[in-house]
Amino acid sequence: MHAARNIALCTKDCVCLFICPTGATDTENGQIDFAKCLDGCRLCVDACPSHAIYLVPSVYPEPQPKSEAVRKELFALAKSKVEQKALAKDLLQASNDPSFRQLLNALATSNHILAEDCYREAGFMLPQSETVKNWLQSLFVEHQDDQNFPKDVVAKLLQLL
Amino acid sequence: MDDMREMTVEELGVLCSNLQKACTKQQRAEEAQLFAELASYYQNREERRTNQDFSQLLQKINADLSQAYNRANEKAKSASDRGAMRSLVWGEKVSKLLKGLLVRYEKQKNGLFENNNVYVCEICGFVYVGDTKPKICPICKVPSFKIHPIQKEAL
Repeated sequence: MHAARNIALCTKDCVCLFICPTGATDTENGQIDFAKCLDGCRLCVDACPSHAIYLVPSVYPEPQPKSEAVRKELFALAKSKVEQKALAKDLLQASNDPSFRQLLNALATSNHILAEDCYREAGFMLPQSETVKNWLQSLFVEHQDDQNFPKDVVAKLLQLL
Repeated sequence: MDDMREMTVEELGVLCSNLQKACTKQQRAEEAQLFAELASYYQNREERRTNQDFSQLLQKINADLSQAYNRANEKAKSASDRGAMRSLVWGEKVSKLLKGLLVRYEKQKNGLFENNNVYVCEICGFVYVGDTKPKICPICKVPSFKIHPIQKEAL
């Protein structure tokens, strides 16, 4: 577990700079240097007067199992939202009207977010879960005939997760 | 999970962008970037269709509201899946709101946007048409810095 800073809460009291034994909190980009941060140290987390620093877990438990019936319904809803997003994008390409385009952009964005949330609750919340890893693994077979499929990207993900 | 083989490129792109966001929230920039690359592989394979009818949007949202949410809510309740119930509560509220927006647009056309801005909540998809965005999202209660304007593009 290493520390991370929520820059929106940070009030620049600098106590994290004083307390950090490795200098990991003192950086030019506002975020803590994860490579320097000591695993589980949490001195800065406890010292921060504005509660802007928290610990990021490195290991997560396997998520709660999902019922097949719920998963099916959420996948069906996601499909409908994705279709509405696609429809908005089709119409977007055909229109020159700035107000109509603004509405279509809002609809496409909103439906994208709605669909993402369905997948999250259908078992695809945690990238490190067995569900996600099995799915990533299945993509090699699924796309074996496609030269353009980024196999290296999927392999790297399976290695990192 | 056999039905995953029948997912469209649009659906797979959204699935990847969800996992990309999860990695960002875990401060895992490298994994987030890789999921983003996979998402763009799918997005690049999307094909745009011409001669689509705007009224299809209202038809689809009506079908969601009259059938899909009821069915999904029933299954989520009988499985005591409160996470799914949370998602369905937000999703149904946002869908009702989008339906209202489509109906208003059909009546008022561009008048709806005349002195108004358009905002979307990045967490739940809530859409606000008005002058100033709310301080917290009325649906998911996230603070307003996660509610973003949709620009009116000059063509």
